[in-house]
Amino acid sequence: MQRLKVISGHLSPADHGPDDVVVVHGLRTAIGRAKRGSFKDTTPDELLSAVMTAVLTDVGLPPSQLGDVCVGNVLQPGAGALMARVAHFLSGFPDSVPVYTVNRQCSSGLQALLNIAGAIMSGSISLGLACGVESMSLRSIGEPGDLSSRMMDSDKARDCIVPMGITSENVAERFSVSREKQDAFALSSHQKAARAQTLGLFDQEIVSVSTKLVDEDGKDRQVMVRKDDGIRPGTTLAGLAKLRPAFKPGGSTTAGNSSQVSDGAAAVLVGRRSAVEALGLPVLGVLRASAVVGVPPDVMGIGPAFAIPAALKQAGLTVADIDVFEINEAFASQAVYCVEKLGIPLEKVNPNGGAIALGHPLGCTGARQVVTLLNELKRRGRRAYGVVSMCIGTGMGAAAVFEYPGP
Amino acid sequence: MTKVFRSPAHHGYAVEVSPFIPNRVACAASQYYGLAGCGTLLVLDETETGVSLVRSWQWSDGLFDVAWSEANEHLLVAGGGDGSLQLWDVANHNTPLRVAKEHAQEVYSVDWSQIRGENLLVSGSWDQTAKVWDPALTQSLTTLRGHEGVIYSTIWSPHIPGCFASASGDGTLRVWDVKAAACRLAVPAHKAEILSCDWCKYDQNIVATGAVDCSVCVWDLRNVRQPVSQLGGHRYAIRRVKFSPYSKTVLASCSYDFTVRFWDFSRNQPLLETVEHHSEFVCGLDFNLHVPNQVTHTILQTCFSFVEKSQIITVALKMTTTSGQIVQIELSK
Repeated sequence: MQRLKVISGHLSPADHGPDDVVVVHGLRTAIGRAKRGSFKDTTPDELLSAVMTAVLTDVGLPPSQLGDVCVGNVLQPGAGALMARVAHFLSGFPDSVPVYTVNRQCSSGLQALLNIAGAIMSGSISLGLACGVESMSLRSIGEPGDLSSRMMDSDKARDCIVPMGITSENVAERFSVSREKQDAFALSSHQKAARAQTLGLFDQEIVSVSTKLVDEDGKDRQVMVRKDDGIRPGTTLAGLAKLRPAFKPGGSTTAGNSSQVSDGAAAVLVGRRSAVEALGLPVLGVLRASAVVGVPPDVMGIGPAFAIPAALKQAGLTVADIDVFEINEAFASQAVYCVEKLGIPLEKVNPNGGAIALGHPLGCTGARQVVTLLNELKRRGRRAYGVVSMCIGTGMGAAAVFEYPGP
Repeated sequence: MTKVFRSPAHHGYAVEVSPFIPNRVACAASQYYGLAGCGTLLVLDETETGVSLVRSWQWSDGLFDVAWSEANEHLLVAGGGDGSLQLWDVANHNTPLRVAKEHAQEVYSVDWSQIRGENLLVSGSWDQTAKVWDPALTQSLTTLRGHEGVIYSTIWSPHIPGCFASASGDGTLRVWDVKAAACRLAVPAHKAEILSCDWCKYDQNIVATGAVDCSVCVWDLRNVRQPVSQLGGHRYAIRRVKFSPYSKTVLASCSYDFTVRFWDFSRNQPLLETVEHHSEFVCGLDFNLHVPNQVTHTILQTCFSFVEKSQIITVALKMTTTSGQIVQIELSK
């Protein structure tokens, strides 16, 4: 009921409260194709250091002002706790500033932001840096760790080790998402990303990284990386249709309609509004709500279909109030399912492409989506809401609602 | 002294003192806090002993604003939740003279131009447009688009012909040129929804805004980089601001915080007075044009409440004077 909502809006002066958690600035590296792309020989601490340094330099904030740094990472040993501290010092941050890492699989980059936000809300810090990084060139998903044999007695526990590609097939089968729909979605991701790249829309969110690349002859070459290298403007439906199922004979999930395996990093400076304003820093976005919910592990891709409504409810908003949804394209199957289930108009979804075209560096993705979302809302030039969401292996979904406050 | 008028289960949204009859006011009211149900338009006279009902009309949807004709003492226009404007005649009609339904959503503001030789209406709606009308409401003369949020307030400039200001949920104050059908100025006045605006009666460049951020800002339209004055004190959103007809720098504001405050923005301590005799949201207020001695503080306020304590829904319409005299019209029980 719109009148109730409008009048209720008048009564929440917290709308622009001094305790709001706000995003000041965010940047990402280009995203490179794993093992073949620009960052195939770059260690994650270097990627991370590049974004950490650039975000603070851009806004002129000394790193000593940071209350904490949280880094999302999935594949490094121990979620890269050591790697993160190394990156911290490579960035010239003082030892007095702490850092830690978080691993909630594909949502780690967003979880890092929510952790920093939580620390701000609890009053323990005023400003923090939320990051995400992954090198899928140097580490791969494999080693599951030490698990009890009793795992096999529990269906749900056993489902946790179902390969991600099979969970995609499960979603496609169970909810009848056709191969054609998946391929069409994948095509559109490439087309949107190619358009954004041609128009230079990513330029303001990507920090150039100088790194070395070992070429085919084994020679080191210094390169400056500033462009995503996974986008294929020449993608066609016919081309996608020819690809063979990657995970299961007779299946519908292919290399073309799944996210790419990638390297990349992103960092987002987050603070309490009062502290941010006192330092004269800008407000790029306001965190309005967030939710993480569990779903059955064997169809983990449906996570956003549950997390998004939970976050929207918290924010007192509906799908219609949201201008842009950044929904991670782990697989076209699950992305299409979630979008259709929630009745989101397709033009609101990933307007600059998603992980199928750009790539999905696991720990980085959530932070990357926040950066892309807020830059898109800023480009549109008016106050608006946006949502970042993704599915999470072992059966979860995460979502966060941001407001761009207007120019 | 308090004069009370009660009308069960109605919540006042706006009050306007008649420009012709000093003791007459019109009040736009709605059932159920304006969230659902019907609307009522009331014309009330203050008498020596109390407040008497001159006429009341029911409307099928909530009524949110009312304006008296500046040319005919019997005419008034109201704006409703069904997107309609209705032209009413106090003298002799039980139904509106005319209903114009062009807005796609709630009409939240109506105003009748006061400039001699100009007789126009303006309406502002939640459909994000403002429309200008001839005084017979035959059809809208022009539709002005530009706001990116609902429009809460549209007020004619008392000085500049064909010029009105609008306040919107998009956080901007806009100034419009009706002849050119164009927005002349968009001021990002608050980082919150702006619920009300009004022109200074003595300086054509001064406009006040009241917003959800609890502040009233006074703007000089020649330099809108920052407000001339920012008036803080209200604890909840400001529902309506009005400049005094008697003083260049005095204005009043009413708020969801149950208070009405008087300000003189030229002073170091701008807050003149806080009136706290309401126990509900205060939605409307008006200065009485006709009583210059009691002047500044003859106001009417309407209010409504979300509080559902028992069946008692209070909507108060009160008239206060500086001397402490209170004429109170309570709509409800």
